Amino acid sequence: MSRKIVVATLLLAVLFSLSACRQQAKGETIKIGFFGALSGDQAVWGQADRDGVILTVEQINAAGGILGKKVELVVYDDKGDQLEAVNVVKRLINEDKVVAIIGCNSSGRNIAVAPVAEAGKVPVISTFATNPRVTVPEPGKLMKYTFRVCFIDSYSGYVKAKFAWDDLGARRAAVLYEISSDYSVGVRDFFKQSWAELGGELVADEAFKSGDVDFRPQLTKIKEANPDVIIMPFLYKEVALATRQARDLGITATFLGGDGWPSSALLEMAADAVEGSYFVNHGDINAPNVQEWREQYKKRFNKDIEINSIMGHDAMIMLKAAIEKAGKAEPEAIRDALENLKGVEVFTGVINIDPATHNPVGKAASIIAIRNGQFQFYKQFEPMK
Amino acid sequence: MSGYFAGIVILTCVNLLAVLGLSLLTGFTGSFCFGQAGFMAVGAYVSTLLTMRLNAPFPLALVAGCFASLLVSIPLGYPTLRLKGDYFAIATLGFAEATRLVVENLEKITGGSRGIPSIPTRTSLPVILIVALFCVWLIRNYVSSRHGRNCIAVREDQLAAEAIAVNTFRYKQISFAINAALAGLSGGFLAHYVGFIQPSMFGIPKSTELIAMVIFGGMHSVTGAVLASIVLTALPEVLRVASAWRLVAYGALVVTIMVVRPEGLLGSWELSWSSLRELRSAWQRRFQTQS
Amino acid sequence: MILQQIVNGISIGAVYALIAVGYSLVYSVLNFSNFAHGDVLMLGAYIGFFSLMLLKVPFPLAIALAMVGAGIIAMIIEKIAYRPLRLRRAPLLYFMISAMGMSIFLQNFTIVTIGPNFRTYPDIFPVKPFAVGNLSIGRLDLVILIVTVIVLLLLTWLVYKTRIGIAIQAAAYNMRVASLMGINPDLIATLVFLLAGASAGIGGVLFGMKYTVYPWMGMLTIKAFVAAVVGGLGSLPGAVVGAFVLGITETFAAAYISSAFRDLFSYLLMTIIIVARPAGLMGTVAQEKA
Repeated sequence: MSRKIVVATLLLAVLFSLSACRQQAKGETIKIGFFGALSGDQAVWGQADRDGVILTVEQINAAGGILGKKVELVVYDDKGDQLEAVNVVKRLINEDKVVAIIGCNSSGRNIAVAPVAEAGKVPVISTFATNPRVTVPEPGKLMKYTFRVCFIDSYSGYVKAKFAWDDLGARRAAVLYEISSDYSVGVRDFFKQSWAELGGELVADEAFKSGDVDFRPQLTKIKEANPDVIIMPFLYKEVALATRQARDLGITATFLGGDGWPSSALLEMAADAVEGSYFVNHGDINAPNVQEWREQYKKRFNKDIEINSIMGHDAMIMLKAAIEKAGKAEPEAIRDALENLKGVEVFTGVINIDPATHNPVGKAASIIAIRNGQFQFYKQFEPMK
Repeated sequence: MSGYFAGIVILTCVNLLAVLGLSLLTGFTGSFCFGQAGFMAVGAYVSTLLTMRLNAPFPLALVAGCFASLLVSIPLGYPTLRLKGDYFAIATLGFAEATRLVVENLEKITGGSRGIPSIPTRTSLPVILIVALFCVWLIRNYVSSRHGRNCIAVREDQLAAEAIAVNTFRYKQISFAINAALAGLSGGFLAHYVGFIQPSMFGIPKSTELIAMVIFGGMHSVTGAVLASIVLTALPEVLRVASAWRLVAYGALVVTIMVVRPEGLLGSWELSWSSLRELRSAWQRRFQTQS
Repeated sequence: MILQQIVNGISIGAVYALIAVGYSLVYSVLNFSNFAHGDVLMLGAYIGFFSLMLLKVPFPLAIALAMVGAGIIAMIIEKIAYRPLRLRRAPLLYFMISAMGMSIFLQNFTIVTIGPNFRTYPDIFPVKPFAVGNLSIGRLDLVILIVTVIVLLLLTWLVYKTRIGIAIQAAAYNMRVASLMGINPDLIATLVFLLAGASAGIGGVLFGMKYTVYPWMGMLTIKAFVAAVVGGLGSLPGAVVGAFVLGITETFAAAYISSAFRDLFSYLLMTIIIVARPAGLMGTVAQEKA
């Protein structure tokens, strides 16, 4: 009998708590949602995203809020999983009734939640998703409620190609990419395209899947092809392993990477192997205009910023500008304001949204070099025409 | 019913379909399948490709996905079901991983690791609820029939079952096929509810979740599978705070149940008129003795 | 380049071999697949790592700690997750489920407590590889190869040349009759797990040095299983041979057919062996029907 009672109680508890998730009364605040990978292996970036937004919100509120109202931030963890991301965004829209959403750092998840935002008619600003399909899933189709504050993969692929051609003088390039990551595949596709347009020779195009730790077969083939530069558009963990193994095999080519690289862990794991490498980033955490905010961040959170913190900040500033332009904190109005947003100054540049693609135009990439075991700003690349 | 709550019910039904299959295959027939997510992936992708590329009507696509998954189980089961359980377990795991690999590599067709976005959301609450309940009824009947008893015989002692002319291999194949069909169905519904599929959705964590549900509810009880699907789908939604610990809890739960009470929560207890009558009389007796 | 790929294959094969040996030992004696074996390896890797980094002990001591630690953990796992089932004569299915559950528990527990970040061992051996002509042979790889052979020889000596070993063999042959002869099955089980755990411990350290330490290292168990099947379940040297075959096959498949399908080829290899030669390359045990 007791077993049945346990079961019944469990059922009741579940039903009760579900019904308890009902909406609370709307107060005099502007409710903004945030979702990101706060747990799992992308947690470092998700948390940096979130903390950047939190600090910016606190600073906005301290200065009087937006349109005279305080901003209330509702934060959810999507655990780095698409299904979960869809879930929490639905929750933000239907249960928490937010007027806008910021997040997240991954193209895969933003692509997943874009239709949810369309259906729920709440705008989403992505901080770090670079795949063009996030806002334009196929030519001619625009996700009306999705925006982003960062540049896209077609630009970053182009930058890698042009940088390798002009600055590194490379003519033979090899690519190693992660086939199970749409980010990696996207960057690789765009690099190949730009490289071909420049007249460069692609001597090797090797893939691995997530979870792999041994890249020797692919690297041996790459070595055989004798490239000048090896493009590695994937995350720092695999970069560390791949670069170490490459050096182990006697490869001397220069490594060139993307925004999956910046992390102190990369230096911890493979400082020697990545010495003399470069990567393309959205900004530079050592840029002068960021330092004051960086100090405030360190004081507030007891840790240093990552590039994501800056993107989180920029997204929030972009949203604030849109709300002020719209004159009211309502999803439709905010969306319209976002679509035509111009001249908003943020840490990583000036935001001018292209209404046809919802992407910021004219954002410049920063090339970061790894010298003496440290990240050093190398140069800023010209924006996309 | 709010959209959020309806979503939970739909997700529960999606899980329920897959868990039902596992309940039959692993619970009643005793073949440990650790690649359920792979079959869901087959169902999801086939049905999605049909609705999106060929504009097929949803029911047809669903059935096709279900059928495709079933077909896949046949060559997979043929060599592996004859051997010891470990081979089968690893083979199903390998199958799930292989499916993901194939999907990731056939970029042109399946969108590769990016997945397929903007799938028409055809899954509606009443439809999936009816289908789920229908499948529960089907499996219930299968299990309480002669076939079900044969499956249990296969699970308990294969040698003895063979001795009384039960074709153990055939029954395992059938259970495997039914399991694959149900999982394929589940995948099709999932794809057209979430509106988006990616290979990473069908990995080991998903298979783990489903196995944990079967174990939790009771491997020998269809009611248990239903109950476990409800509780273990809804609970993580509610317990958002401890979400990082969810898989830890599942692992510990599975081991604990195996060691302490392998029958799971409900053991072999099934919800039925007779069992309800039993409950009622037990309840009445309790009150009578007290007064 | 083919030669280099062979070297690559052998170097990863050596790692698989270390894992497969412990796995095979448990399988031959207790007759079930310990899916949690890889996670014991993972814990051994972490123990070695933290001994080196936090306790700052010299390297040989770190390895010893990892072996002892992993061995103890393996014994505890046996006691908690498998012994109750064995005493109850539970069906094979329950063992597998319990092992799977334990594996998931260990993996995720590590993720939430220690964290999912990759940990790098300091470079104990000089990083510069041996260059033999055009070939590049890592020093660490040679060490792993030597250690694997030593572990294999040690275990073989233990099992075939000592009294305890004979007891283990007897238990492997028929646990019940062996217990009638005065052999304590619980003791045997504990011992076997201790040995398997220790081999996993050193395997973990070496693997961690080669590929960094991370919570889901346990996924290697699958490779160990495949290696053991290919070589012949129940044969210790078979596990090692199978591991090398696997390593080379994988490497060549990854290099010349498709790097993304690398894992697929390991399953394919296993399927071929199951269908064509179920006893494995070196197995002598007759294949048990279902």
